[in-house]
Order: sequence, then C-alpha cells, then structure tokens
Amino acid sequence: MIAEEKLKILTESARYDVSCSSSGSGRKNEGGIGNGMPDGCCHSFTPDGRCVSLLKLLMSNDCIFDCKYCMSRRSHDVPRATATPEEICSLTVDFYKRNYIEGLFLSSAVHVSPDATMELLVRTVKLLRTKYRFHGYVHLKGIPNADPLLVSEGAKYADRMSYNLELPSERSLKLLAPQKSKESLLSPMLRLCRERALFQAEKRKGFFLPAGQTTQMIVGASPERDGCILRLTESLYRTAGLKRVYYSSYAPVVEDALLPSVPSPALREHRLYQADWLLRFYGFDVEELVDEGEDLPLDIDPKCAWALRNMHLFPVEVNRAPLEMLLRVPGIGARSAQKILSARRYTALTFDHLKKMRVVLKRARHFITANGQFCGEEHAPALRCLLAAGDAAEAADAPEQLSLFAAGEHTPVQLPLFAQDAARSARTGEL
Amino acid sequence: MIYFFDGSKEAFLTAFLLAYRDGEALLTAGEKQLSIGQKSVFVRADPAMAAKCERRLLELDKRCMDDLSFLLRSGEGMRGQTAFLYLRLIAQRGRPVRGELAEDAVSEATECIRRIKLEAHRLKGFVRFLECASGALYAPVSPVNDVCDLLLPHFRGRLGHIPFVLHDVPRGKAAVWDGAHAFLAPLQHAEIVLSSDEAGWQALWRRYYNAVTLPSRARLKQMKGYMPVRYWKFLPEDPAAAIGDLPAADASANAGGASANAECAAGRALHAPSDAPSDAPSDTLPVKGRAPSPQAARDALPPPHGSPRPPAAPAHP
Repeated sequence: MIAEEKLKILTESARYDVSCSSSGSGRKNEGGIGNGMPDGCCHSFTPDGRCVSLLKLLMSNDCIFDCKYCMSRRSHDVPRATATPEEICSLTVDFYKRNYIEGLFLSSAVHVSPDATMELLVRTVKLLRTKYRFHGYVHLKGIPNADPLLVSEGAKYADRMSYNLELPSERSLKLLAPQKSKESLLSPMLRLCRERALFQAEKRKGFFLPAGQTTQMIVGASPERDGCILRLTESLYRTAGLKRVYYSSYAPVVEDALLPSVPSPALREHRLYQADWLLRFYGFDVEELVDEGEDLPLDIDPKCAWALRNMHLFPVEVNRAPLEMLLRVPGIGARSAQKILSARRYTALTFDHLKKMRVVLKRARHFITANGQFCGEEHAPALRCLLAAGDAAEAADAPEQLSLFAAGEHTPVQLPLFAQDAARSARTGEL
Repeated sequence: MIYFFDGSKEAFLTAFLLAYRDGEALLTAGEKQLSIGQKSVFVRADPAMAAKCERRLLELDKRCMDDLSFLLRSGEGMRGQTAFLYLRLIAQRGRPVRGELAEDAVSEATECIRRIKLEAHRLKGFVRFLECASGALYAPVSPVNDVCDLLLPHFRGRLGHIPFVLHDVPRGKAAVWDGAHAFLAPLQHAEIVLSSDEAGWQALWRRYYNAVTLPSRARLKQMKGYMPVRYWKFLPEDPAAAIGDLPAADASANAGGASANAECAAGRALHAPSDAPSDAPSDTLPVKGRAPSPQAARDALPPPHGSPRPPAAPAHP
C-alpha cells in the first residue's frame, strides 16, 4: 500500500490538471476487473465543485523542467516523491473495487528525461492492463519530446491521452515554459490523431485511444485574448480531432516576476467554456462570437451577447422555428429544444405549456413568441441590463464546467442533433 | 374514491381497471389522509384482471409497461396517481402519448421517470463498497426511489467474479450477485466482518479526497447540486468534514454541513475499522463495525458459487 504522505504529495501536484472525464470508452471486462462506461461517471464532488471521476496522480513530481507557472518546477522548494508502478496499480485496483473511482489519470513531471518518464508511464499502464487485468478507464499524459514509439505503445493501453498545450501561443510558451515548444506539444498530438484514424480505418484488433485526445490551456497567465484562444480551440477540434479542450484559470501557486500576481477570474474561464459549447454543439462559428483581439463579455453569456448583436433575427416563433434557430435562442439548450420539437407536433405551444415543460424562460422569453404571444422586453439597452442582472446572480456561483445536458453533437457544418450515436456525445460534453 | 394498492404492478393494473371510469379516482401506494365522507378501497392484485389490462395497454403502446416499471419505483407519495393518469391517457387516446409534453399527465410522468433514471445514474458513482474478510463486497445505500436492482447489471459487469451485496437499507432488501447468480432478497439487518485492509484503504481515500480539493476555490452550492447531501451518508470520504476544513466556507453552506455531519454519523460508523466500537445507535445501523460471529457474516453475504440458496425474486439478467 502506498504511503499516505506520498499519495498526498503526488495528488496535490496533479490537482491543477482540469481534465477528469471518464467518457468515451466502451472497453469490456475480459475476465478481470473493470469496464468502460461510455457516458462517464462521477464518483464524488469536492468542496471546490469539481468532480472526482479518476484517480488523478503524478507518477513523480521530481521535475527537470522549470516552467514558471508550475508548482513542481525544478527551482521550487517542495517535497518530492516518486511512486512505483506496483504502488500505482494496486492503489487503482483497490480504489476501483470499492467504487471510489472510474479509473486512473496518470501524469508525471519530467523525471530524469522525457524518454525515461514516458517509459515509466507506459510500463505502469501495461502492468495495470496485463498483470492486474484492469479494464477500467485510463487517461495517460503524453510527455513532450518523448520517443514517438513509446507514445504509440502507451496509446495501445490507454483509453485517452493528452498533451497539455499549457499556453495559447508560441511566444508565451518561450517565455514561461522555455523547455517546451509548440512543436513538441502539437506534433505528437497530430501524429496520434493520424495513427488513430489509420487504426480505425484498418479495423485492427485491440484498442488505440478509444476515447481520443484532449488538451488544456492556462487562461490568464499570458496576454492572449479570448478571441485568440477560441480560434486555437476551433482549429484543434477541426485539425487534431480533439474531444475536449479544457481551460484552467491561472492561479498564482508560485511567485515569479514574469507571472501575474493575481488569479484570473473564474468567470472568464466559465465564459470560455460557454463559448466552447456553442462551437461544438450549437452550430456557432468563432467569428460570430468574438473578434480575434477581443475578450468575451463578462457581464452576459456569449449566446446572449450574440443575440443582442443580431436582434433583427428575433423574436422567433417556437411553433415554427427550425432546430438550428431554436438552439440559438438564449436560455434554450439542447434538451429544451428537443422537448419543444417533440411537443409542438401535437399542439400549438403557449407560454403556459413551455413553463409546464420546464423550459427555462428567464432569458428565452425576450427572444421568442409562443403562439404569437410575446412576453419579453423589446428595448435593446434595457434588455441588456435585464440579462446582465440575471446573469450576475448565477455568475456569483459560476461553475467551471457546464453541467450535463441531453441532445446531440455537431460538426461546425452540420447538426445531426438527434442521431442515435450523438446523444452520448452530448451527455458527456465531448465530440 | 381512493384506491390503495400494495405498490406491485399486478395490484396497480387491477386498480387501474377498477378506477378507469371513475373521474375522481386517486391511486396511491402510500399513506393518504382521508377527508370526511371520502370513500376508499384497498385493491388486492387479481392476476387475471392485471394480465388482461396489461395485454390491452401493450396493444396501444408497446413500451408503456417499461414506463410503468419505472413509475412504480418512485419514492414519491403520488407515484400511483402519476402512472394512472399517464396510462389512462394512453387508453383514452388509443395510442402512445410519449412526447406530448404539453399534457400534464405526460410531462409529470416523463419528469418522474427522468428523476428515477438520474438517481440510478448517480448511484453508479456514489455507491461505496466495503470489503469483507471473505473478499466479498457490501454496500449500504439509501435511495429515494427503488432503484437498487437497476444497479445490479452495472456492477456485475465491472466486478466480474467478485460477489457483492447492494443493501437498500430503508426498504430492507438487497440486490445480490454471488459470482454466478443475480437475485433480490429481503435483508433487514446485515452483520459483516471487514477485511483487515479496509480501514487503511478508506484512510488513503480520505487523504486523496482532501488532497485533490483546491482550497482556494469554495463552490459548495455547485458541489451539493451535483452530489446532494442525502447521498453523503455512506461516503467514506466524508464531504461534510471536508467542508468544515475549508477556510472560506460560507455561512449557509456551513449550516448545511453541520446537519450533514449529524446525518453522517451512521455512515461513518459503518466505515469504522473492524475492531473499533461503533458510536451510533445500533438500530440505525444495518452493519456493525464490531466483528460479528463468522456464521452471521456468512449469512449476510452472498452464498459461494453454486450454492443452493434459491433466488428470492428474479433480477435483471
């Protein structure tokens, strides 16, 4: 059994990694323990509002890199620890058996060298899959500059891999993470994407990242605007086939003259997630949401901001509007749109019907008519104040990620919203 | 007229036929205070009537019995009435009404089914197993709705050959997987012997839970929204204590935390090491932390492979 103190050190070093989803893998239990749950599963929630789905650990926090923002950086004076593969495997299986976790999220500081670290991570996951016969979810971090063959080997045993982009531009990377480069992070991501596509096309036996790849960026440590971040996000979804891009509000855990001394507002991170959802599930293009050199407004959500800029398109009649337009109404999400579509086949919907159907009208009533009736505010400046006031109350408790909701996935071009295999994607929030 | 029934599907369908033409019918499986002059009847299940009713309803909507099986699991007082109004609408219209959400009966039934499925989904995460000395797993649960057996296929799939018991404490029943058979059985009180490592793994888990929390970000409302306090009772990580540790916990949240603390007493006692005395009243505990006799433990746990113990009720395959 791993020592409590070691577990504490390795967990505290890993807790700033945002990704914790366990969806996307349908791995079966083949005579051992564990299986994949394609919709993912949250096993607990911590007082910071985040879910605990995976056992999130570093293999080692003893790093040779010196990234300015990182609490495990070489020059930072913190207790160091390194776990053995056996310790990680036995901890995972015993936690899993008790239903504490859905699987393992294994990352590491760059210990000794990138190749040695990657080799240790791959050895651990192989051990878990073979000796311990564990078929639950495994998320493996890629180590920048590690040998591609080692990375590909890891991809055969993990359900998901991720390389953290960390910062949204090459310039910021050079400044704050001098040992990392855009090339060292993006090229393995693209290579894995190609290998995965080939694996699927050839219908080979076994697994190769069934749950795909994700990445993470720190927001607020460098000067990039939301418009720039979202453009990068959109291109990652399109070119690298990522399932998710995570954003992490910068929090000053180490002092450095190159870093801001105050944390980035959590609300900014929340707005980025909202915009990210609009890109993936609501048919928006980044050009419609924000200009490259601008930030998203903080006082209202990005969908409201878009609607206020396009008031000539509203109000829309809920009994006639196509799905694509319903999804663009502020306050109407994928689940509500689905309910409206289903119910209006049988009767002309009124506001009373919508209330009974639990369609939230706080924002939507300003942008819709129901059976010809309008119940909102028409005057645009007054409307903006109303929406901002309503949002302020919610923002006080701004979640860092959006909650689960039903309906479908989309590519930026099409919205096959009710395709059968799309429902899962929307429940998990992943493409 | 109020139609009381015992909560079973057969009794419900019998009551459905009796009440169908009664404009003021109210079906309930729970308790109901009668007003002066109000008539009531206790409906016994009539297999012939129930079968006839089921056949006819299935002709009109082949998925309606699936909906009914969910609706009758509801822990809400009006579960019989929600199902009655929904099925009566199907019978009146002569076709499926699923999706006609502007109808009160349909939207209420849909919402009720959604809540039940949500609870089953949540419990897949919030169930916590205790490892017994025999290697079998035991988990006490206290769901609002009767969803215990819905969880069986999920855990059977992932735990494979490991026997386990999901004990619905308030309903006094258990969903059991003995490594070869899945079945439901009545279980009022279980006594188990915990494995020698159990306390150690729980301590590690608590340490992990506390270490993974970002202390600078207190979002208790969000936490309780995703993981309602009613599910905290059997969690070894003890979220109520973790909230108490947070420096910036707000006043209202602390108040919630305090009540949760009291509620958690029983749960914590469950997670006590096997040699520690329990500090909670024994009548609230389905399991005592103190080591019971090996025979009692064997009785409480699923039988070994090939055991002749007959299934008490068929469970999901």
